[in-house]
Amino acid sequence: MTEKNESGNIQLAQWLQEVLAAPPGQGQTKVDALRDEEVVAGNYHPQFYTQLPDFVMALLKNEPYAILRYAPLIYHLIGCRTCHTAYLEIYDAMKAAIRSDIVVVEVEEDEQMRSMVSVPIRMVELLCELLIDQAGALLRQARHDHTQNDERARLLLQQAIYISLHIKQNNMRQHTLRNLVEVATLADTIPDPSEQNPAAHSYASLVGSGNGSRNARVWRGVHTLERPDSQQVIYLQSGRLSGAITQHEDTLELHLVELDKQLRGRYINISVLLGTLLEPVRWLGGNPRAIRSQAPVDADGSLTTPLGTTELRLSRAEDRYLLETLFKKLDVRPAD
Amino acid sequence: MLFSARNLRYHIEDCYSSFCSFLQRRAKFYLRQLGHDSMEVDEVVAHIIEQLTRLGLIGARDDQPPTLLEQLTDAQFLAFLNRSIKNKAIDRLRKKRLPVSLAAGIETYGEVEEEKDPFEDRVETVWSKPPFATPEEAALEAVKNTFLLVLLKECIRLLGNAPHQLLALEQEFEELGVEELVQFMHQEFDAQLTNVEADHMSQHKDHAHKKLRLCLQGSSNNLRVLVALRLSQYGQHATKTGERSVPIKQLMTDTQGKQDLSDQEVKRALGYLVSRGLLNWQGEEIVRFSFAQAKRLARYYEKEDEQ
Repeated sequence: MTEKNESGNIQLAQWLQEVLAAPPGQGQTKVDALRDEEVVAGNYHPQFYTQLPDFVMALLKNEPYAILRYAPLIYHLIGCRTCHTAYLEIYDAMKAAIRSDIVVVEVEEDEQMRSMVSVPIRMVELLCELLIDQAGALLRQARHDHTQNDERARLLLQQAIYISLHIKQNNMRQHTLRNLVEVATLADTIPDPSEQNPAAHSYASLVGSGNGSRNARVWRGVHTLERPDSQQVIYLQSGRLSGAITQHEDTLELHLVELDKQLRGRYINISVLLGTLLEPVRWLGGNPRAIRSQAPVDADGSLTTPLGTTELRLSRAEDRYLLETLFKKLDVRPAD
Repeated sequence: MLFSARNLRYHIEDCYSSFCSFLQRRAKFYLRQLGHDSMEVDEVVAHIIEQLTRLGLIGARDDQPPTLLEQLTDAQFLAFLNRSIKNKAIDRLRKKRLPVSLAAGIETYGEVEEEKDPFEDRVETVWSKPPFATPEEAALEAVKNTFLLVLLKECIRLLGNAPHQLLALEQEFEELGVEELVQFMHQEFDAQLTNVEADHMSQHKDHAHKKLRLCLQGSSNNLRVLVALRLSQYGQHATKTGERSVPIKQLMTDTQGKQDLSDQEVKRALGYLVSRGLLNWQGEEIVRFSFAQAKRLARYYEKEDEQ
């Protein structure tokens, strides 16, 4: 190769790197920039990252045309430092793994016997957070590529929720699941027709709430003579508004008070965003995103209406954790 | 339950404890003087768990296609993890500016590992450098490799209906002094580039870059070239006239007979080659083409200077 050719190659390589590195904002509309940013937000690119072991193995085995087969990945590695670093790590580790003189690394006997209970809580938190992050990355990628990753993301979110039940401290569990609603919303690209209008109120479950004055207002508002044990109630909050979910045998009931004047005398639609994620509740009407109240909001702005039935029990700690998570976001809007 | 690649995929709750315990023990060992710092141990362990989650292994069940990691034996998978932990531990030690022995050696830890210095071996000194070791090297390889350069040209061809963007690219290649691409632009787009006014070139250049990036990282461009290559390689003489034929099933496999393309991928690529006038295929299960077409297909994936 001549010196001129070599110099041309170096120039072209630098140009290619510039093209593939995609500096944020440059030459993009605001929407494009936002879209790209969304994918990069997770700092890695699932569709390329997952190809790395196969690509590395093809290189290690000197497979013919591996470079052509994995060309898009190679072009991606030129422009993405995060995925390139992962490539180097995986290359080295896989090379070590397929050596013919591999020495067996022992797993100690006590490592085989332990259960989830013995895992340090910070490691349980980490796993939940990573599963939620991975679901988010898959959904952002799908949105960017106009493809579907909802089922895969849903499975990861379900596992994150179930694994989080091993975290007994309420605040730690809530912190671990803090991104759950945001990620679940990413899957929600086609809203239910009943959700066309903005929510009148958007409630979130209050975890570990006791017998405060705010909660007392709920019971005064719904004219209940007997206030349930606080362990058998999930309190809800939307700004200054309060609400609660109680259980009567298998039925989950929603209680809302002090609703706006424009909602009084009207039926409302209730949407439980995470209701489609977990299956242990049989929702009234079958669709957790469109539960129609069984009665109109009364003249005082109060409403009590069933949401669905379940074998889960608010009195059992693990079931309660699950239901609290399920009601992390509950929207209400006029039904008509 | 003991962890394995399969168990991490299907039974993460049952094997997570044994997995974490293994990672922690190995991390403490490789972190040496940092091994007593639980934050450092967690950093290493978290890195491995994060990587396996991002690779689509942990908790993926049947919703993520298996990777070759899962075809490793249990011993190989443990060796993979062990090496990953070791590399991350070295990384942490370096960040803390603690000494890491550079002595070369062959990895022999195992039953008596606690008696050995974990840093008597080191990755780079024993192993050859990986291909594409830096993004810069990968970029240089991309412009030197015949196939990768063919893909770049194919992506430039897709800008055929955007003459301002083509002009912006041509100007860039001239400024860079990349003769081969300047010639390519003249040969392919002379007609389109006549009378194009050089307005707002910066904006057109950015749009061209974005389209090129999407095309180069897209999944179909390389498959077209791969299928064209296989048609040439696998094409059998079928008639006295020199007509060649290749079944689609064969186009789905590599030279060693291992399937690596789907039926749909092959058919999409064939459709594109038809649209480029390189084939007359109309959906048949056996692709037939003439000697002349075979020659044109061969030119499709070769650099001009190699023709």
